[in-house]
Amino acid sequence: MDSWEPWQPSADEPWDLRRVVHLHRRAAFAATWKEIRRDLDDGPHAAIDRLLKGDSRVEGVPDDFEKMAGVIGDAAVGLGNVNRLKAWWFYRMLFTPDPLGERLTLMWHNHFATSNVKIEDAALMRRQNAVLRTCARAPFGEMLRRMAKDPALLLWLDAEVNRKEHPNENLAREIMELFTLGVGNYTENDIKEVARALTGHTVKDGEFRHAARDHDDGEKTIFQQTGRWSGDDVVRLLLEHPATARRLAFRICEQFMGEGNVDQAALDELANGLRARELDIGWAAATVLHSAAFFSERNLRNRVLAPVEYLVGALCALEVFDPPPSTLLLAERSANLGQDLFYPPNVFGWPGGRAWLTSRAIIGRTNFATALVAGALHHPSHPFDAAALAEGHGASEVADQRTFFSQLLLGRANPPDGLSHDDTLDRYVASLLASPEAQLA
Amino acid sequence: MFRTRFHRREFLTRSSLIALAPSVPVFLARAASAAETSYDGRILVVIQLSGGNDGINTVVPYTDEGYAKHRDKLRLPTEQLIKVNDQVGLHPSLRPMADLLEDGRLAIVQGVGYPNPNRSHDVSMAIWHTARMDRDEHKTFGWLGRAMDERPVPADGAPHAVLLGDDSPPVALRGRRSTSVALANLQDLKLASRPTLPDHRLAAAPGQDQNQDDDLAAFARRAALDAYATADLIENVTQNVANDRSAYPATQLAERLKSVAQLIKANFGTPVYYAIQPGYDTHAVQLPTHARLLRELAGALKAFLDDLRTARLDDRVLVLCFSEFGRRVQEDASLGTDHGTAGPVFLAGPRVAAGMVGPTPSLIDLEDGDLKAAIDFRQVYATILHQWLGITSPGVLTNSFELLPIFNA
Repeated sequence: MDSWEPWQPSADEPWDLRRVVHLHRRAAFAATWKEIRRDLDDGPHAAIDRLLKGDSRVEGVPDDFEKMAGVIGDAAVGLGNVNRLKAWWFYRMLFTPDPLGERLTLMWHNHFATSNVKIEDAALMRRQNAVLRTCARAPFGEMLRRMAKDPALLLWLDAEVNRKEHPNENLAREIMELFTLGVGNYTENDIKEVARALTGHTVKDGEFRHAARDHDDGEKTIFQQTGRWSGDDVVRLLLEHPATARRLAFRICEQFMGEGNVDQAALDELANGLRARELDIGWAAATVLHSAAFFSERNLRNRVLAPVEYLVGALCALEVFDPPPSTLLLAERSANLGQDLFYPPNVFGWPGGRAWLTSRAIIGRTNFATALVAGALHHPSHPFDAAALAEGHGASEVADQRTFFSQLLLGRANPPDGLSHDDTLDRYVASLLASPEAQLA
Repeated sequence: MFRTRFHRREFLTRSSLIALAPSVPVFLARAASAAETSYDGRILVVIQLSGGNDGINTVVPYTDEGYAKHRDKLRLPTEQLIKVNDQVGLHPSLRPMADLLEDGRLAIVQGVGYPNPNRSHDVSMAIWHTARMDRDEHKTFGWLGRAMDERPVPADGAPHAVLLGDDSPPVALRGRRSTSVALANLQDLKLASRPTLPDHRLAAAPGQDQNQDDDLAAFARRAALDAYATADLIENVTQNVANDRSAYPATQLAERLKSVAQLIKANFGTPVYYAIQPGYDTHAVQLPTHARLLRELAGALKAFLDDLRTARLDDRVLVLCFSEFGRRVQEDASLGTDHGTAGPVFLAGPRVAAGMVGPTPSLIDLEDGDLKAAIDFRQVYATILHQWLGITSPGVLTNSFELLPIFNA
């Protein structure tokens, strides 16, 4: 595992404010000032382990978080209202003690990109979301076994009609191209045979059903292995295939590593490690987050924040918890920035990276920053009090307050040069949030 | 928040993207129509039918015995078709497009595809976007991006290409130097309040950009600069279209084409517009979905061209409609169709040579159960590049392709 050597702070690469902020912006939804100070004092191991264990957040987290989230989610499903379901997810991300878990759930939502545009069923979308969250850190087998029978996913890929007379090749193709192997690692014949093996998998009344009558139980040859394979066999064959581990390694790196910082050797090493550990995603996340590569100078601030990461991160860092912002409005803003939860653009998910920074998105992010300080994310409006936050953390002089916000949001004392010091503090915070630097993590 | 004109001009002249432009406000100075004498004012509007349009049920070969043979449940009744000639008829939802055809404003190129067709949405779309068969080139530059690389920056600093919609600009628009942006509607391009980062902070240092395309921080700064320049342009544009009286259907595609028309009427400098109509991946219960999609397409297209005709701007406009593939000739078991190969391409505007182009593909003489393509899509592209955009550099399409009789001589 040469590429993923654990990191030890050094004089050149110290555990400092920059790296604490890097960790939280890259692997969570940023952090409050108290959390940053705590992690700075406790050292990287404690900080990373808290994220991995799912108890890194302390401020803003209600005691009865899961219960509250359950009530909000039930209400959304009861109303059959997907906009409320988006709001429910934003509530989770804003108030969860486990931001890494939510980040991984987002990663899986992108991986198994299922759009409600076709499902039109809030209950099924929530059910899928719960599976993505439950299995977020688990060995991938658990996830794939459950997703192979997930009603929303099967409906998304037209599995309702999937009989031995007419195997659904679309389903077979997407399972291999998108969810496991990646394009180029299977033949057109594999698609046909996998489709045959999956016949009988269908959805009835919102539930998975295996219709034995419709299943083709003849011999199939998949990846040059012949047998009377069933759908469960397909899942097993896919889990054993080395390309699956490589694709998972790619997903993890896409999530936590910056642009161009993972070479083929590093990807292969992570994939090999995954194969040796039953594709344990939690292990892979821990390996990457503990690595020297993750904290290396060139991995700092070279990944574009996805809209959700940007929005929730800004609110968490600025402790916009009480009163809570309108999560319905946040979901709308996110869609406006290009990331409409439960509506990925197609089976490939969101393109990500530089593609997030369209003109429209940058204008939208700038307008979000303006709305945040103006209090326009609340119903009724509740302006952000920048001075109060800074004073609460010991910065009472004007100059100190500006430094405080630069440290909090960007991890460094010097703000981007050229930021106007004639502005009010609130406008200054908005400009910081809108700056090109703040779009990166 | 209102800004003074002085502020705007100052911004425009200071930003590097605009530095190539004359310092006068170009929207005001530029002549409204120079299309007759030059390729410069010409506009290409691309409508992408995503998912793989069933061309057989769009331009229906109703006298082909293969139609009844392969399309049992999905066959459109002959009497409902809008007959074009004694071979083909248009889907009944396409009445507005039939009107365009009669009116001399629509050309239908039949059986368009490419050799060794790929049935993956992703790969086939990448082939159409890039006009490259080699997968290694599918993440590089698109055919329109490469074409726009041959053009200078539009005089008013507008991007070369605009995607109307929620997605990122497609690979088709990605160029080495040319610019493309995405917008959902014009309102999305207005700033509630300009941040106080001065423009020289956003602009990269001189010489930096050329050599450091891979520097993400420089990319983010340049992206912000482009975004704010666009916001300033739109602020200007929307003031010109307050008394708009055109009649568009209430569909998403029509809304997007209306925004394109507004930008054109405002003499926005962008030469290429792009809109995506999703939903054509009709594996199941195809008939109602397909009818709705085609109705939306035809209604939006007709309203768009009529709107621009009223504004006397349609001479500058060509619309291209394509899909990544057609569908299998044989219908599937779920009242739908699976991924196929060749399909029709539509070209619309007053300058086209109206009518059918190319032979009607046979539904009997098939290859692997799929239509044989008679025309390579790159012939369509080559004709548009040469005869509409006036771009003849060989690098855009690599090979030379036989041009098609798409335009009036």
